[in-house]
Amino acid sequence: MERISCISINHKNAPVAIRERIRIAPQDVITVMGRDSEAYVLNTCNRTEVYWTAIDKEAVLGLLERISGVERASIERVSEYLAGGAAVRHLFMVASGLDSLVIGEPQILGQVKDAYRDALAANTTSTILNKALHQTFRTAKLIRTETSIGAYSISVASEAVELASHIFGDIGNSRVLVIGAGDMASIAAKRLKDRGVKTLFIMNRTHESACNLALELGGTARPFETLASELALSDIVISSTGSERPIITRDMVITAMKLRKNKPVIIIDIAVPRDVDPAAGTCYNCYLYDIDALKSIVDRHFAHREAEAEKAFAIVEAEAVKYGKWLSSLDAQSTIKDLFSLMETYIADQLRCLPLSEAEKSLVEQNLRSSFKRLLHRPVSYLKEHPGITYVENMRRIFQLDEDYNDRHKG
Amino acid sequence: MTFSAVLLLYGLTGLGFIAYLFLGKEALGLPLRILFIACAAFHLLFVLALGRQTGRLPMTTPAQAINMVVLFSSLAFIPMILRRNTAVLGAFFLPVATFALALIAPSVQPGQEIFHGTYRYWYPLHTLSVILGEAFFMVAAIASVVYIVHERIIRKGSIHSASSALPPLALLDSILYASLALGFFAITAGMIFGSLWASTMGLSLSDIAPKVLAGAIMWLVFGLSLHQRFAIGWKGRRTAVITLAGFVLMVLLFIAINLAFPESHGLRLM
Repeated sequence: MERISCISINHKNAPVAIRERIRIAPQDVITVMGRDSEAYVLNTCNRTEVYWTAIDKEAVLGLLERISGVERASIERVSEYLAGGAAVRHLFMVASGLDSLVIGEPQILGQVKDAYRDALAANTTSTILNKALHQTFRTAKLIRTETSIGAYSISVASEAVELASHIFGDIGNSRVLVIGAGDMASIAAKRLKDRGVKTLFIMNRTHESACNLALELGGTARPFETLASELALSDIVISSTGSERPIITRDMVITAMKLRKNKPVIIIDIAVPRDVDPAAGTCYNCYLYDIDALKSIVDRHFAHREAEAEKAFAIVEAEAVKYGKWLSSLDAQSTIKDLFSLMETYIADQLRCLPLSEAEKSLVEQNLRSSFKRLLHRPVSYLKEHPGITYVENMRRIFQLDEDYNDRHKG
Repeated sequence: MTFSAVLLLYGLTGLGFIAYLFLGKEALGLPLRILFIACAAFHLLFVLALGRQTGRLPMTTPAQAINMVVLFSSLAFIPMILRRNTAVLGAFFLPVATFALALIAPSVQPGQEIFHGTYRYWYPLHTLSVILGEAFFMVAAIASVVYIVHERIIRKGSIHSASSALPPLALLDSILYASLALGFFAITAGMIFGSLWASTMGLSLSDIAPKVLAGAIMWLVFGLSLHQRFAIGWKGRRTAVITLAGFVLMVLLFIAINLAFPESHGLRLM
């Protein structure tokens, strides 16, 4: 396990003023790599991390200093150096969102994968880091499926989308009206677009802003004066204007509900002061959520996520142990042992199928063992003479020693 | 296939579906779907064997009628159980089905039926239609319960892992509407066949009044629910509440009439 090391500069220790300066590309790291070394670099808005094997820590710190222009002492003060199992665990936690600012956020996994693609393109990873990253993706997936860490949305916009999907199911065919063209309205509209909404209408007091946002999101701008009629046609309404008074009254909702024959409507009011009269929420089949209601839901979800994170840590630990076992099997001696255990498995399988007496079986066993040993003599000798990781790994691949490793090492 | 085995299978599958609802383990989905189909298939085999034994459609006692309602409901639920987003309805239906089957277990076998009239022509059609209608109303009632529960969760905003598995309200409303419409159609047909049967038997209104009254009340309640939907757009919770109330009323009328008027219709069944 001690083969992998990592330097992490993340949101926990490093201020944004330093984080934004330290950005490192896979190509940069090649300059400090030796013949057998590997490196993987991850840059996100909240972290810059370098994972490596067979590179001196000082060389990596020097590289970071050179590229960012940040003093070495500052880098050392705000960075975290991890080695061996701790580095592997850290990588698993980062990819699973357990080390993120918002615990359990799913975007980080995509960023880890993108960074891996860049590393592959730059040819900076090999056996050890490739396996570590594959195990990382597996762990992140396992955490998503085995825990409900991702089941609770933790942004107001995501929660609004989640609530809408509980009412309409597939919201792709729902007609969406976004009132306002500010940041909050824009984020919510983007979330809805990401979830497959096809019919998106945007209105704003300044029609030009509505047109711009509509153009950006692939929606259609509507004049603000048509609010009442649009309300009757829309299934999902998101309102976030700077109006001092409610722009949607209870009477407007009653009229709209009559026109739409009580077909359900969800109104998300994320404006402060509120855009929608709270009394509108009492209308039949109208689901009204204001910013406080959404925030209280989101706060509850944070608590759920933290509880689920405990389960996720246990998964990370178990997966890190598995990776550690694999890493130790990369030793030439372990691989030779594995080859012989494979031989013993084959012999046992052969003998089980033969309808012979014990004495005959013993004779056949001797012959088989002798033949197998002769067959294995050359690859084993070669491995002893060339115990490099590439040969060990190739040997493991040729004989598929990792495929049934657990079956052969039961008990 | 004995009735106890069918009952046990329903019970175990029901427990499995409840675990599926609360644990949210997708891996349970396929085995549970297979188990549900096995429930319906074995139940059908039991009913066919019972029919062979009695020589007629096995719905000539209140217990057998309930048995048939549960069987038809199970069959109606199969397409929903096979769909990923409605499979969880099994967690609501199976406990009710198991409870109903457990109640009738001592009296579902033949030997207790009292039947004086002709069994041919209109009578089998009448009972079959009514029981089919009741089965659809049972499906509608289950969808109503899930709708009311899910709507309450959404209003409170307390969406969690178990509620995430519940079908969306729009889908539940469609199931509710479809089962109500089919049930109403079947009950209407059943009432027509029943009238034809009564006239061929020469029964007077006084002989059959309690049954007719009960049938008319049910027909009106479910008819009202459908009418309000079309006329003034009562979708969702209100339809669900009326449907659930109608189903409870149907069960109460069934029990009351079979206890108070065991000989009405000239036989002890609804």
